[in-house]
Amino acid sequence: MSQKPCYHCGEDVPKDLNIQSEIDNQVVDFCCYGCQAIAEFIQGADLSNYYQHRTEKAQNAQNTSELDNKFSLIKDPDLYPLYVFENGNIHHIQISLKGMTCAACAWLIETRLQQLEGISSIHINLSTSLATLEWQPKKIDITDIAKEVQLLGYQASPYRADQTDIDIKKAKKTSIIRLGVAGVGMMQVMMSAIALYAGDIQGMDQSLKTLISWLSFAFATPVVLYSGFPFFKAALRDLKTRHFTMDLPVSLGIGLAYTASIYSMLSKTGHVYFDSVTMFTFFLLLGRFLEEAARHKSYSNNRNQQELSSAWLIKENEPVKEIPLSKISLGDTILIKSGENIPVDGVISKGSTSIDESSLTGEYLPITKAVGDNVVAQTINVEQNIEILVSAIGKQTRAAAIERLTDRALSEKPKIAKIADNVAHYFVILVLICASLTFIGWTLAGSDEAYWIMISVLVVTCPCALSLATPVALTSATNKLKEFGLLVTRGHVIESLAKCSHIIFDKTGTLTHGQFDISHIDSTDDTFCLQIASALERESIHPIAKAFRQSSPIQAEDIINHTGLGVEGKINGERYLLGNLKFVSSLSKNIKTSPSEFTGLTLYLAKENTGVIGTIYLQDRLRPHCQEAISDLRNNKIQVSLLTGDTSESARSVLKPEKFDHFKCQVSPEEKWQWINTQKDKANILMVGDGLNDVPSLAGANTSIAMAASSDLAKIHADAVLINSQIETINHSIKLAKKCQIIIKQNLFWAASYNAIMLPAAILGYVPAWAAAIGMALSSLLVALNASRLSR
Amino acid sequence: MESLYLLIPIAAVFVFIAVAIFTWAVKKDQFEDLDREGQRILFEEDDNDKEK
Repeated sequence: MSQKPCYHCGEDVPKDLNIQSEIDNQVVDFCCYGCQAIAEFIQGADLSNYYQHRTEKAQNAQNTSELDNKFSLIKDPDLYPLYVFENGNIHHIQISLKGMTCAACAWLIETRLQQLEGISSIHINLSTSLATLEWQPKKIDITDIAKEVQLLGYQASPYRADQTDIDIKKAKKTSIIRLGVAGVGMMQVMMSAIALYAGDIQGMDQSLKTLISWLSFAFATPVVLYSGFPFFKAALRDLKTRHFTMDLPVSLGIGLAYTASIYSMLSKTGHVYFDSVTMFTFFLLLGRFLEEAARHKSYSNNRNQQELSSAWLIKENEPVKEIPLSKISLGDTILIKSGENIPVDGVISKGSTSIDESSLTGEYLPITKAVGDNVVAQTINVEQNIEILVSAIGKQTRAAAIERLTDRALSEKPKIAKIADNVAHYFVILVLICASLTFIGWTLAGSDEAYWIMISVLVVTCPCALSLATPVALTSATNKLKEFGLLVTRGHVIESLAKCSHIIFDKTGTLTHGQFDISHIDSTDDTFCLQIASALERESIHPIAKAFRQSSPIQAEDIINHTGLGVEGKINGERYLLGNLKFVSSLSKNIKTSPSEFTGLTLYLAKENTGVIGTIYLQDRLRPHCQEAISDLRNNKIQVSLLTGDTSESARSVLKPEKFDHFKCQVSPEEKWQWINTQKDKANILMVGDGLNDVPSLAGANTSIAMAASSDLAKIHADAVLINSQIETINHSIKLAKKCQIIIKQNLFWAASYNAIMLPAAILGYVPAWAAAIGMALSSLLVALNASRLSR
Repeated sequence: MESLYLLIPIAAVFVFIAVAIFTWAVKKDQFEDLDREGQRILFEEDDNDKEK
């Protein structure tokens, strides 16, 4: 029998599991109780239309169930006005939503909330995952609204736009208007141009010609002055800094062709080039707009997390109280519940637990800590509740130190010299010299046509094709990379990827999945063993529990966690133990130890009075095809290195050092970055990583790629995000980047040689202006067509 | 051919109106959520069916 997909999230339903409900008069299966609860809730609210309308499956309930209700925090009188706008009885807030996959999700949340009393209005923006909510606090509490959203299978948190968001939004609107004006203007001017060309061939009244010229002028003016404004601004900056980029020839081309056209229109001699000017402006704007849009998309909405972190403050003779993190001071004692993020650096004053420090060290196995041990911010308390004495907050924490290191690394990041900008530098100077010499030469020769010949020279050398050559190729390569599964967020990525000669990988979470997986089981009845283990681990948030699936047909009772040992519980009245050797040895004496070559983690399942009934071997697993991808890269003469914060033993258990050029273990974030710095002179470095400990290296490397499941900070500082998490995508991307580089060079070569051939002819006065304009359009077209070969 | 002297300027006026409307639409957040609005009509049809 083939496996059935879960009705709610679409994941495979394990064969031995039987969670069913009747939805819309139809019995359906679920993969876990979480998904079932959501589906039944949706059905109960009379919203099961959702399942007919959706185009994407929902997220698994596991991904949205974390109870992370930040709304109780904003009730703090200091924070409330920052998030909520009060208008009499009606309060107004923006909410960031997680877990929405398609338009039906937005409909589901909106419709459900509108059913509630006290909600005045709700509007969800799907592209930004933000909701605007108006509610009456007297009738409904904001935390209850958030709970409703959670019941539907989504996560909500308060959102506040910071200055960057507002600026980005404003800039985006302006560029859309600029682009729109350029587009409409271009079309109008093109139509007029066709009429004028036809008029040149068939003959046309001079008065009609004048009218159409004036019309083109009227449409071209806003395109040049308004839409083209960013180019002129950048060109002015170039002049001030004396570093010429493509913006200078671009504005020169636009500006000169535009003024020349006005002159010929007024003097009724020569030709108007308004069509070329507008088309040129539009296409360049389009390229920049697409690049910007890709960059802004990668910014996450959750940058105000810090402000909304909270802590449970413990004071003598007072009940434990949740307060915003900003109100915690040094020397306070705070309670860290199991499963919570530790918000500060501190020393454990009560209790013992194990801490998941993978975000800082890359070590994916939690570390056992007891009274007197240090804990650091940005790590996760895995097992028991603990109390800690705060020793550092905010900017003093170790995590903040990494962020400062990142800023330093970023400021030292090598600049990628863009081919086009190098060309531009000399090109501008050459064109200006040629044009002025031509003008001087013809004037000295006593020709009346000197000005017009100079204009022809400028039009012929108009850097249309030259300045389009790179952007069109980059745009189509970026789109193709997105299809591959690599989201490019910085403009230089494709050029620097092609030059990359040394790739440095992080291990945990990058080459491996970063979590335990069952490698094999040694028992008489594997399925039974697994069912019991899953039942015992069901409630646990320990990383080990993730190896087991969330649901089991068996229910366990009286589950007790033993820090650093394992878990015990009762199933059908019998006591079972699951844990390490030390833990089960109390029940059984003759335990077969794991084979010495196995370096992962071994769990023993023991039954009271019977002894060990099964051994489960767990290991962090490599991502699929990762080995092949690495040897493929090395075959292509690219060095591959591994830098991990993990112990060498644990690194060697999944990867063989001889597969890499350099294999370094137990390196700190600082050491990682410094090592990259030493390699920078020798090679062009691509860093691939995911955790907080990789962030300085990501910022410092020539090019950096973050994995899809990376920390937010890593994604913000990386140049690209590997959405599909497959290592071989990097190989494909490098190949494509190289191909793109070839296309750019072909384009530049074509554009430059076209200019080089036409230039002498124009200087000698053999090229009429209209022929120059047609030639310019054709060469631009050729460049664009050549670039489109990339997207095939 | 004389009609062109009238028709062309009129066409130009229409273009300016179109650009003005476009600018207004951008400023009023009409292009904020292109993923969502296209599908809204499908859901609302169902809601109306239920009310009937």
